[in-house]
Amino acid sequence: MSETVIVKNVYKKYKMHSKPSEKLLDVILPGGYGEDFYALQDISFTAKKGDVIGLVGVNGSGKSTLSNIIAGVVPPTSGTVETIGQTSLIAIASGLNNQLSGRDNIELKCLMLGFTKKEIKEMEPEIIEFADIGKFIDQPVKKYSSGMKSRLGFAISVTVNPDILVVDEALSVGDQAFAQKSKNKMFEFKEKGKTIFFVSHSMGQIKEFCDSALWLEYGEIKDYGPVKEVIPEYEKFLKKYKAMTKEEQRKFREEVMRKQSGPAATLGK
Amino acid sequence: MKSMFTVIKEQISSFYLIRRLSLFELKSANNNNYLGMLWELINPAIQLAIYWFVFGFGIRGGDPVDGVPFVFWLLSGMVVWFFVNQSIIEASKSIYTRINFISKMSFPMSVIPTYVIVSKLYSHLMLVALVTIILQFTDYTISPYFVQLPYFIFCTLMLLISLSLITSTLSTIVRDVHMVVTSIVRMLLYLTPLLWEPSGWIKQVIMINPLYYIVEGYRASLLGTSWYLVENTQLTLYFWGVVIVMLLIGSALHVKFRNHFVDYM
Repeated sequence: MSETVIVKNVYKKYKMHSKPSEKLLDVILPGGYGEDFYALQDISFTAKKGDVIGLVGVNGSGKSTLSNIIAGVVPPTSGTVETIGQTSLIAIASGLNNQLSGRDNIELKCLMLGFTKKEIKEMEPEIIEFADIGKFIDQPVKKYSSGMKSRLGFAISVTVNPDILVVDEALSVGDQAFAQKSKNKMFEFKEKGKTIFFVSHSMGQIKEFCDSALWLEYGEIKDYGPVKEVIPEYEKFLKKYKAMTKEEQRKFREEVMRKQSGPAATLGK
Repeated sequence: MKSMFTVIKEQISSFYLIRRLSLFELKSANNNNYLGMLWELINPAIQLAIYWFVFGFGIRGGDPVDGVPFVFWLLSGMVVWFFVNQSIIEASKSIYTRINFISKMSFPMSVIPTYVIVSKLYSHLMLVALVTIILQFTDYTISPYFVQLPYFIFCTLMLLISLSLITSTLSTIVRDVHMVVTSIVRMLLYLTPLLWEPSGWIKQVIMINPLYYIVEGYRASLLGTSWYLVENTQLTLYFWGVVIVMLLIGSALHVKFRNHFVDYM
């Protein structure tokens, strides 16, 4: 099957600044200023049509950064990401305009995604039906409950019919009924042969839903392969990590920090 | 040069997008007030009244400017100032306050300041219409000179868009730039012939401000005093020179940094 996402040697570097003045120096000085922090280091992998890939890793391992880069929200510092087709990111923070009504938000969001007037008109009823928030659709979003907000955001993101979908811990939104509905939608997408990236801390969801898994550790790929092989290893690691004494956990985190302060630092050791 | 064409092309191809987004902008800005859009007229009216009182009666003692009663002189110039003032300030912070909603790098970012400015244009046109109507009840009824007005509205738009490309980019990178912009705008009110009439060498200095051309142009069209555009060729050329230079700088800056706007959040 054809490849839809090709990620090659992607690095994402952030600068750490403790004062605003350091930030200013970073902008002015040609070499930049501040301590480097690599959220991602040398990530390379490919995903094919119909792949459902679970992204796993402990907090701060770069899952969200990677999903943002794949979705095209954040640019990588170096390396290339090639995506074939429309990408859509589903995250809990849905980025709706609080002052506008749900209906206006649908149009606004779709316009931002580059759809034409006609396409938006066609999609609107479908989105409203999926979100299932009744009369509230004509109320300003600030009056929505948090569940309604995320439902509307989710409905927009899935109805735009993307080829590549990045789901960032969003399947847990809403009540059971909506969770089931969104899960069904995901399975529908899976059957249609879309590429789906799935970020979750719930191993149950990953096992139920994904074919392969990508395990990130301190911004690097620790393992990439079929769920059956990667997840047991990851669970073993989690168990070990939990069993560590406080001292060991601290040491582990220090090791992580050292690794993430850049390739140069690691080589120097 | 190349980035200027990129930006111009983006603006033209996103025409529908700009229109829709600017309407949403207008809607969300006035949703909280009971009087809604009406505030876009009430606010300027209150400000005009106080300026008329302080500068017209207080400082000038009711003297006319070049034979034009102060109140009409004030009205015909200030009408564009409200637009310029709000647009410069809003457009300067347009990118960094909205980047979180955009969430897609492929979005033509250069459109953001433009649609914010266009959203201010609606109330400006409303205000211009209102001022024109008011003037019909005075000695300054509509005249052939009025046809210059669309040209000067276009000039204002161009000036604002090219300036905002610079300010919105810089203030996204360094937030303090927005503060600088705000205080410069506050000074501009006095460095443009809006509240008082400069003369002599002071006038020469104030003519450096490209707003001079716009304000005097509005005045000439609304009050029907001259063919400002043709009679001041040098000033016209200077104005467009400034706009093009700003557009060049603005689009170069914008294109250079736009992929990394998210990183400056």
